[in-house]
Amino acid sequence: MSFEEQVDDIEANTILGGEPFFSRAGGKIFIIWLGFTIVGVLIGVYAPHHLLPTLLSPQGSDVWKTIVVFTVLAAPVAAFVYAVSFYSLFAWRHKGNQDEPPPDAMPQRGNGPMTVVWLAISSLLVVVLLFWGITVWNTQQVTHANTLQVNVTGQQWLWTYSYPGTGVETRTLELPLNRPVEFNITSVDVTHGFWPAVLGVQVDANPNVTTIIRTTPDKLGNFTVRCSQLCGLYHAFMNNKAAVVTPQQFSAWLQGLGATQAAADQTAGISSSASSPTTTLPDATTATPTTVPGETATTLTPDTTAPATTAPATTVPDGSTTTTGPAGIPTTTAPA
Amino acid sequence: MTTALAPPLLEDTKLGPNAGGLYERLNIWTGLGFGIFLGFVAWVVSHATLQGSNWGTDMVVTCTMLGWVIGFNIGIGTFNAPIRWMLGHDQTHEDELYVAGVGQGRHRYLKYCTDHKVVGTQYLVLVMVLFAVGGTLAMMIRTQLITAHSSFLDPQTYNAIVTVHGMVMIIATIVMVSGPFANFIMPIMIGAKDMAFPRLNAMSFWVIFSAVPCILATFFLGGVNAGWTTYAPLSVQAPPAMDAFAMCIIVFVVSVTVAGVNTIVTVVTMRAKGMTMGRLPIFTWGSIIGAGLGLYAMPAFLLAMTMMITDRVTGTSFFVAAYGGSGWLWENVFWIMGHPEVYVILIPPVAAVLEIASTFARKPVFGYKVAIAGFVAIASLAIMVWAHHMFTTGWAPNLAGPFMLTTELISIPTGIIFLCTIGTLWKGSIWTRLPMYFVYLFIWNFIIGGVTGIYLSDVPADQYFHGDMFVTAHFHYTLLGGAMIGATAAVCYWFPKMSGKMLNERIGKVAFWLIAIGIQVTYFGQFWEGFQGMPRRVAYYDPQFLSANQMSTIGAYTLMAGWLVFLYMMLHGWRNGKIAPANPWHSKTLEWKVPTPVPLENFLVDPVVTSDPYTYGEGVPDGQEVPDFAPSDDPELVPAGSAGSGAQTDAGGDH
Repeated sequence: MSFEEQVDDIEANTILGGEPFFSRAGGKIFIIWLGFTIVGVLIGVYAPHHLLPTLLSPQGSDVWKTIVVFTVLAAPVAAFVYAVSFYSLFAWRHKGNQDEPPPDAMPQRGNGPMTVVWLAISSLLVVVLLFWGITVWNTQQVTHANTLQVNVTGQQWLWTYSYPGTGVETRTLELPLNRPVEFNITSVDVTHGFWPAVLGVQVDANPNVTTIIRTTPDKLGNFTVRCSQLCGLYHAFMNNKAAVVTPQQFSAWLQGLGATQAAADQTAGISSSASSPTTTLPDATTATPTTVPGETATTLTPDTTAPATTAPATTVPDGSTTTTGPAGIPTTTAPA
Repeated sequence: MTTALAPPLLEDTKLGPNAGGLYERLNIWTGLGFGIFLGFVAWVVSHATLQGSNWGTDMVVTCTMLGWVIGFNIGIGTFNAPIRWMLGHDQTHEDELYVAGVGQGRHRYLKYCTDHKVVGTQYLVLVMVLFAVGGTLAMMIRTQLITAHSSFLDPQTYNAIVTVHGMVMIIATIVMVSGPFANFIMPIMIGAKDMAFPRLNAMSFWVIFSAVPCILATFFLGGVNAGWTTYAPLSVQAPPAMDAFAMCIIVFVVSVTVAGVNTIVTVVTMRAKGMTMGRLPIFTWGSIIGAGLGLYAMPAFLLAMTMMITDRVTGTSFFVAAYGGSGWLWENVFWIMGHPEVYVILIPPVAAVLEIASTFARKPVFGYKVAIAGFVAIASLAIMVWAHHMFTTGWAPNLAGPFMLTTELISIPTGIIFLCTIGTLWKGSIWTRLPMYFVYLFIWNFIIGGVTGIYLSDVPADQYFHGDMFVTAHFHYTLLGGAMIGATAAVCYWFPKMSGKMLNERIGKVAFWLIAIGIQVTYFGQFWEGFQGMPRRVAYYDPQFLSANQMSTIGAYTLMAGWLVFLYMMLHGWRNGKIAPANPWHSKTLEWKVPTPVPLENFLVDPVVTSDPYTYGEGVPDGQEVPDFAPSDDPELVPAGSAGSGAQTDAGGDH
């Protein structure tokens, strides 16, 4: 090519040269991309709140936040793919006789810089998403002292909840507000899925194994516990009502089911001295929980066999004395 | 009329009276007959000898299924050739021609036939039947779910339908591209006369054919109520139907393994002169990468099902916790298969989409080498992500982070494939014929499916979504909206070559819009259900989920209508379509350079390959050509024996 032709070629084919940006393909695609991205971001910010039920714990709120963040981050990527695809149909579609193919397009076999930029951006996005997910996951690993223990037993086709120390065994679940709770879950027959969805935690109930999940309900409300793992004939009916209530209501409920007042109050986390409000525990992200004043620490010691970095869903180590295990429910564990 | 220069066609060979030997009498009917007979004998014998034992009925079912499978394959002639070879009375050349279908016209489609084109067509019909069965079951599920407490199905039947729907669809999607197109099209694409192991090719088809009744029998043996994932210990307790289910899988894995080996060996050893690996069409690369991944993954399924059978039939306790087993063992072995398996499903159709995008944008595949690297990266990572299906099982919580890492990493090579697809469209000359419609629908759907998978790969978010309808919507978007739509594009693309007729694109566009809208409405309804907290695999649900379910069911009926119109289009095209020229899409890959219908040995003269098939716009002659004695489009000069010629012989002219 002559020098002039080379200049023309460069001007036509680089971003900075040639026609005004928004008259060129790249510019128009940018507009379409912007439109799709804005729609995607709006959906990401507003839709989850309307689609999800009221979430009753920080773990539940984490789910909502994750959906928002992931949607907002995914929107530009999806928008770019859609923008190029849609634009190709408007701008480069062959309009003539459809029985014959259009003339060949340019013999572009690839674009190194484009590929590198794409790889870099997608890798960066993955790093961001991973960082987000691992951070959130780690905040959920923290264990607390003074945790309410609830033993959950799954069977075909119902859940049974028992509160150690109170002798109460029920088929509905109630939890006191703002008290960290640790569910110890097992099954007596097949695998079930313990799924209090709005608490943002879930783990399977497996036979001969105890799995543990932890959460701290921070909003009052009614919800449903469902089974999330197909467990046979009446899997669809394996649901029960549940609620997060105030500690006073919780204690009254336990007493209504046969617990003594002392055991009920202790399980609810209500101290015997009326002056100290017992419900304001440190929030879930603190690693050093304080004991509630007035609380006798004997029955509800922290789980010394599980280090603080144990993941929520763990098996009780084989052969350990299960300090969290209540009397009467055997937890013979499978070797890890 | 023939040209003086036309070489004699192999399919015109006149065979002697005893050509084929026993094969002359064997076909699908003898297969069915002998299969039922041997199944019955196995039932009687096992019932008489084993029924009294603890696991008697399970043993009987297992033996009966085995009897059926072996009997069917004896009856259709799978074992003839090896047995003759062992007896020192190997097949003669005439026998081999007979078994390749010479002289039998349409009947060869109902027989054991080694011609890869016949096997490919048989697979296509089987896939369509499997989708019809799976689709009917899906419509029964959605009909049940149109109200919160329907009386249409009882829970046991519903669970059994959910299980068989899942498994039949998985089988169908695994073979939907590798069966019809890696068999029919790929050998021609690489310049070969057939596959490396033609007899194994026929065997792989008839073996998978014999597996299908085993899974359909589960409905009559009590129904498997454990979902297609058949988690133990529920499945260990399931009725004897579970043994039939396990036998289906074991037989299926044998078929898929043989087919995978055949595909890879064919590409490695039988390419034409000049066809280097770097000049292979991208579809061929996708086929071998998918096949290779399947060779890794599917044996785990065979292993899992064998352990299941021994737990049920002989009293082992791999999965029975009371005697030291664990459901987690089942889950791990299953998902070690189950995750790579979805990429076995996905990679060949995606490679077909790239191939089609290139042809209909009149541009080379963007980033050919990068796309291949992407497929290899996807396949490699796929074997390292399986426990993302087990984030909420309580197994190995310390591995949650690593599996989250590997799962999110897969989105990088998947994104590269998207780049290659839209890069191919960029500034192309877009020719919007019917295959291209489905390419665009693939792009739309797979973005949604892929992004929602990223939500699920986040462990905290998965605690909300695991086991609910969000997961179902995600994998239907990727498998149906992505892989199956890619396969649909492949069907529209290669239909003229396989059937010799063109599809009516006006009917096709009606089908397209019904399918496209049906997919969005059905599965956005299920995303909605998932956000609300509706679990999977339930026959009845809380009334709060009603609106979302109604939306999904309306979408499902729309989708069904779309597929029925598509089916009508295929049948109408096959029967009454315009005769297809050899290269209606003016594509540059080798399969379009041979006449339609394709001669028995594919190439009448050896192909000449001097470049890859993506020389669009380079102003050079085609680098993948068959130097023919006559241009294949000229109706006056087609070779003797092909459709449209004056000579009407049985062989080759009858399709």
